[in-house]
Amino acid sequence: MHYDLIIIGMGLSGLMAAKTAAEAGRKVLIVGKGMGCLTLFSNTIDVLGKIPETTRLRDGLSQWIQDHPEHPYSKVGLTRIEEGLSSFTSLFYPPYIFQTIGDGNCFIPTGAGTMRPTYLIPDTMVAGASGKEKKGLIVGFKGFRDFYAGYVAGPLNWRGIALPLPETPGQEISATALSRWMEKESFRKTIGQEIKKNLSGETCVGVPAILGINDPIKVKMDLEEKIGVGVFEIPTLPPSIPGMRIFNRFKEWLIRRGVNFLSGYSISKASLKGKRCEGVYIHHPPVSSFYSADRLILATGRFIGGGLVAGRERISDPIFNLPVRQPGSQEEWFGKSFFDEHPIHRMGILTDSSLRPIDETGEPILENVRVAGTILSGHHCVNEKSREGIEIATGYWAAKKAMEQ
Amino acid sequence: MNLKTEVLIIGGGATGAGIARDLSLRRIPSLLIEKGDFLSGASGRNHGLLHSGGRYVVSDPEAARECIAENRILRKIAPHCIEETEGLFVSLPEDGLDFRDRFIQACEETTLPARLLSRDETLSLEPGLNPDLLSAVKVPDGAIDPFELVLANVKDAEAHGARCLLHTEITSLLVDGDRVKTVLAKDLLHGEEYLIEAAYIINATGAWADQLLKLAGLRTAMALSKGSMLITNQRLTHRVVNRCRPPSDGDIIVPNHTVSILGTTSIPLEDAENFEVTHREVSLLIRETSKMLPAIEETRFIRAYAGIRPLFQSGEKGDDRAISRGFVLIDHEKRDGIRNLITITGGKLVTYRLMAEKTSDLLCRKMGIDVSCTTHLNTLPGAEKPSGLKDRLKPLGKVEALCDCELVRREEVEEVLREGKLKDLQDILHRTRLAKGTCQGGFCVYRLLGMLNELGLTEGNPNKILKGFLEERWKGIRPVLWESAVKEEELIEGIYKGIFNL
Repeated sequence: MHYDLIIIGMGLSGLMAAKTAAEAGRKVLIVGKGMGCLTLFSNTIDVLGKIPETTRLRDGLSQWIQDHPEHPYSKVGLTRIEEGLSSFTSLFYPPYIFQTIGDGNCFIPTGAGTMRPTYLIPDTMVAGASGKEKKGLIVGFKGFRDFYAGYVAGPLNWRGIALPLPETPGQEISATALSRWMEKESFRKTIGQEIKKNLSGETCVGVPAILGINDPIKVKMDLEEKIGVGVFEIPTLPPSIPGMRIFNRFKEWLIRRGVNFLSGYSISKASLKGKRCEGVYIHHPPVSSFYSADRLILATGRFIGGGLVAGRERISDPIFNLPVRQPGSQEEWFGKSFFDEHPIHRMGILTDSSLRPIDETGEPILENVRVAGTILSGHHCVNEKSREGIEIATGYWAAKKAMEQ
Repeated sequence: MNLKTEVLIIGGGATGAGIARDLSLRRIPSLLIEKGDFLSGASGRNHGLLHSGGRYVVSDPEAARECIAENRILRKIAPHCIEETEGLFVSLPEDGLDFRDRFIQACEETTLPARLLSRDETLSLEPGLNPDLLSAVKVPDGAIDPFELVLANVKDAEAHGARCLLHTEITSLLVDGDRVKTVLAKDLLHGEEYLIEAAYIINATGAWADQLLKLAGLRTAMALSKGSMLITNQRLTHRVVNRCRPPSDGDIIVPNHTVSILGTTSIPLEDAENFEVTHREVSLLIRETSKMLPAIEETRFIRAYAGIRPLFQSGEKGDDRAISRGFVLIDHEKRDGIRNLITITGGKLVTYRLMAEKTSDLLCRKMGIDVSCTTHLNTLPGAEKPSGLKDRLKPLGKVEALCDCELVRREEVEEVLREGKLKDLQDILHRTRLAKGTCQGGFCVYRLLGMLNELGLTEGNPNKILKGFLEERWKGIRPVLWESAVKEEELIEGIYKGIFNL
């Protein structure tokens, strides 16, 4: 089994790399232990939430690139970041599309009643975006532990209600269960009637992000018809249903394009020869099989994804054992306050501008391997609100550069 | 507001609660004032060991005798707070057997039931122990839940007429001639001020004893010592495991509910309010305890915490009614000419009842009344229902679990809320197992705040409370973040700083 490109990791960066290579007609294998962090954190596409509210994203990014030469964005460059983002949005077709509000960040309400900056949002969140001046009713569901309408509504000065659920046939009331129920017309009818009864002058209704997995626009439009006002989704605790939709869309597209999509498998070993990686052993319990490739992309994420492993005193990459830039001992990994920018989050794999892993002297370690996504060093994606932007831009760029080779 | 009481007890740790109960059973009215919640000091920050006395038999036989006697009493009056685990004193090759032999002899002299076990016998009881061990001595150590114990004392005291005010701090003690005449206090959450008239005052503030006495212009010669501990995310042994050598850092592993607690260190401290567990202490505790139980090297930890031991300079004891080297009871009439003030401090959780008894005896003598202590004869509320996992393991069915780590049901929290008098988040966390599991409240505290909001019990912006909690939680987990704990932390940060943008 020989491939033009093997991508290790099924998060957003790996998926973007696979899409980019498949579009160029290459033979691609993408392999991952799970769905990456898409289903944990990604509800919308953050690119750089940290810039001032009124700044155009383009201006903010180009300033950021100037100020942060070690940042993944600086390696990719503004034009390619924008190409990557267009490639991402082109995957989604109406009515479920990702869009911007204006040319900068927009603000969306969250499950904690805060407003958070983000860049691309799915159609199901548009009615709630930058909506401080609106008058909204927040609707939660009794027994759903990951969203509390009053909690969300309070700080926003909106009103919140918790509706009893019509049917919970012995199941846990989770985001996934609610999403599945929402796809049923009878469920929507009961919920819609209840919401309508509770409206008192509000011009929009916010619900947790559970408006169905497969056809959220149909769910949203049907609910809106039943209620009579706009409905929008609010991101809350994981799992992220909008993230699941992104994953499913990529998966469907990649498989249709002939990409070998190996989900649920891990790498047991990489086969290295000099400065090249010849392929990887993938563990199909109880045996491992060898998959060879001309080039590879490492997109295994950080600690949750398994891309980085923290020992008692040292952080490492378990697949290629690439050098991880790190400050001192465990004592220095974290700041004194939870809300500090912890030094550990800047640690990651060092690369050159074409995303090849390098050693401390700047020499490429593996000529035919590229690194993409949050495993890269030099960013602080949670504080910067740049997670998905980094994943999309570096996944896109790593695949482009790999194919030039 | 003016308050009147016969006896004012200051401090809501095990000692203060024990005194409130003791006095209430002697039909002496009391008011207990505590600046935080019950167990905010050392009573809530120890390793939950029901001492057999073994730790002290060699160095301090008198303290050991107290432990042996109190251990027996607590098993009778508070069976629901105790798990009878037994304890082992393990000798490793580097320890030799000299101390062990002295230990066994001292056990005989103090009538502490002890049995020498061979290496093989020991390993058959606790297969995870270091296979190179030489032998172990089995003693009746156990695990005790300080929260249940203290709250049961409070419940009994209140049932017999005692009153308690939490989150209330003493702001001044006004001395007039030979007595403290009035006491001023302030509710720290609502700002209300109290003027308290009490015939007698008992200072049971532990590490804060000196600070309180300063308000009356008095001093004690006291030093503070920090003891740090680590909590593992699973229970590693069934028995308490001690190192059979003179008391030292990192010499004990105590099973506690579903986890184990590794202890302790001893570091001199200046400030009773601001302290943290250092990287050096964490490394030392892991290095030392893993010599007894090698699996500790690979174990995940969920929290590090520290408590403060109040230590008394030896000069203090001769002057006063020092009952033992374990605790100090000061009659300020004898020492300072203040007739109505008593200080009780030092000691151990296991001797809290004895400390309360001796304090109450002294008080009765001063009051000129003759009523005997009955706290060793009457069981504590809840004793009729023995402790055990069985209750917590009953099927959850169609109920809402706020906490998945420790399976805390929403109803359980609602019941705690109904019992009332809870003033802040920590009060609720103290009375349930919320935030005590692997995620340390990373999920359930948000849910708890959401639930309180639904019940109309929150005011203002709950995110302020949430952020405060996350900072408090951080202090405990920051020292033990590596391996899988880092993954969990990445998740928690991704939620609160990322999705919620707090």
